[in-house]
Amino acid sequence: DSTVGSPRDCQPCPCPGGSTCAVVPKTKEVVCTNCPAGTTGKSCELCDDGFFGDPLGQDGPVRACRACKCNDNIDPNAVGNCDRETGECLKCIYNTDGFFCDRCKEGFYGKPLASDPKDKCKPCSCSPYGTVGRQTSCLQVTGQCTCLPHVTNRDCSACEPGYFNLRSGTGCERCNCNPIGSTD
Amino acid sequence: PRPDVHPLPPGTNLLFAQSGRIEFVPLESYDMKKTKAKTVLHLPEKVIIGVAYDCVEKMVYWTDITSPSISKANLQGGEPVPVITSDLESPEGIAVDHLGRTVFWTDSMKDRIEMATLDGAQRRVLVDTDLVNPRAIIVDPVRGVMYWADWNREAPKIETAAMDGTNRKVLVQNGLGLPNGLTYDSQSSLLCWADAGSHMIECMDPVQGTRRKVKEGIQYPFGMTSYGKNIYYTDWLRDAVVVVDRHAAKETDEFLPQKRTRVYGITMAHTQCPSGQNYCSVN
Repeated sequence: DSTVGSPRDCQPCPCPGGSTCAVVPKTKEVVCTNCPAGTTGKSCELCDDGFFGDPLGQDGPVRACRACKCNDNIDPNAVGNCDRETGECLKCIYNTDGFFCDRCKEGFYGKPLASDPKDKCKPCSCSPYGTVGRQTSCLQVTGQCTCLPHVTNRDCSACEPGYFNLRSGTGCERCNCNPIGSTD
Repeated sequence: PRPDVHPLPPGTNLLFAQSGRIEFVPLESYDMKKTKAKTVLHLPEKVIIGVAYDCVEKMVYWTDITSPSISKANLQGGEPVPVITSDLESPEGIAVDHLGRTVFWTDSMKDRIEMATLDGAQRRVLVDTDLVNPRAIIVDPVRGVMYWADWNREAPKIETAAMDGTNRKVLVQNGLGLPNGLTYDSQSSLLCWADAGSHMIECMDPVQGTRRKVKEGIQYPFGMTSYGKNIYYTDWLRDAVVVVDRHAAKETDEFLPQKRTRVYGITMAHTQCPSGQNYCSVN
C-alpha cells in the first residue's frame, strides 16, 4: 500500500522468479500475476493442469512440476488428469484404477502396466451361477473368480469332473454315477 | 478495481481461458488488437476449461475442474458468482442461450449433457447415454438446436439434438480424430470443428449435410469460436490463439499470450446480442 506514507509501504512481491504481483483491494491479498513457466496460484505454489509437484516446497521438500505420472493409462487429450499437488491420477483409462493407474479397477483383471491396451485390464466376467455371492470381482492378476464348491475355471463357469448342475447356484453336485456302469 | 484485472473494453472481444485466468483480446473489425490484450478475470487457484458469454447481462460463464463447478462474473470487475457447485466431476464445454436465459454444459466424467437457468435453478439432464468424452457444446437458440462433440478415441462423433435433448442425431462420424473445438456461425449456417487428431478444421451445413475441409495441418486445437469470415482457435502445442480465414482457408494471425502455458476455451463477446427470436416464442 503506497498511500500510507511510511518507508515500508512497498514490499517486494512474495513471488518466485521475480514475478510481479498485485494487491486485491478488498481482501488485501497479494496475488502473483506472472508466475514462472509451469506454475500458477496466488503465490505460484501450484502446477499447471496436467502437471504435479510442490514448486515452493510448502508441504516438504521442493518438488518441481512434472507431467502426471499415470503409467500411460491416461489420455493426453483429457483435462485434469492428476491432482496438481499429490499427483494422484484422476482419470485412469483402459479400466485401470489406483493412485498411479497402476492396478485394474474392480471387476477387471490383467496387466495394467502392459504396453498394449489389449493386454491391460479385462473384465472378470465371473459366471453368476458358479461364483460365490454372484460376485463380479476377481483376483487382480490371474482373474480367478471365487468359485462355489466343486466349481472350476477362472470364471467359475464349469463343474469339476464328476460334478453337475452348475445352475443350482449353490455349487455343483456329485454325479453319483454307478462306477460299474459308467465309462469315466 | 483490482490492479491485476481489467474491465472488458467496449466493442467486440475474444475471451479465452488460460489456467486460472480469462483473458481478452479486443477485435477491430476482425483483427486482434494484440497490444490491448489483458486479463479480465484472475482466479489463480482454478483451472478454467470452458468459457461462454451472455450478451444480455454481459457476463462470462466458465467451467472449473479443480473444484468442479460452473460460475459467472460480470466483466466490469465483478466477483465470481457460483451457478452450479454440486454433482459435477469434469465440466468442460459450456454454452449460454441468451434468449432462453439458460446455460448448457458437458461433463466428461459423468458423461452427461445438462442445462439450468442462468441462476443455476431448474437443472435438468438432457443426454446421459452414449457419451464417452463429451467436450465442446454450442447452442443455436434461433433454431432451437444444440450441437456437441465427443472425442471418444474409439468412436469420435459430432451430434445434434433439440435443446430439450429430444431428436438426437449423429451428424458426423467419419474422418474424425479428436474433435475438441466446435463453433456455429448463424450467418452462414455452418457448423465448424477443430480436430486435434486429424489436425484439420472442417465445416458442414448441418441441414444439407455438405461438408468441406477448411484447413489441414493444424497442430493441437482445443477451443474454437468464429466471427464473420474468421475462425479463432486455441492451440495446446503453440500455447496460442490462432486465426484462420475460412474463405481463404489460410492462417492469418496468431496471438501468443505472455504466459507460455496451455490455452483452453475461447468465445466471442459481442457488445450487442445477435438479432433473432427464440424458436419457442415463434412457434
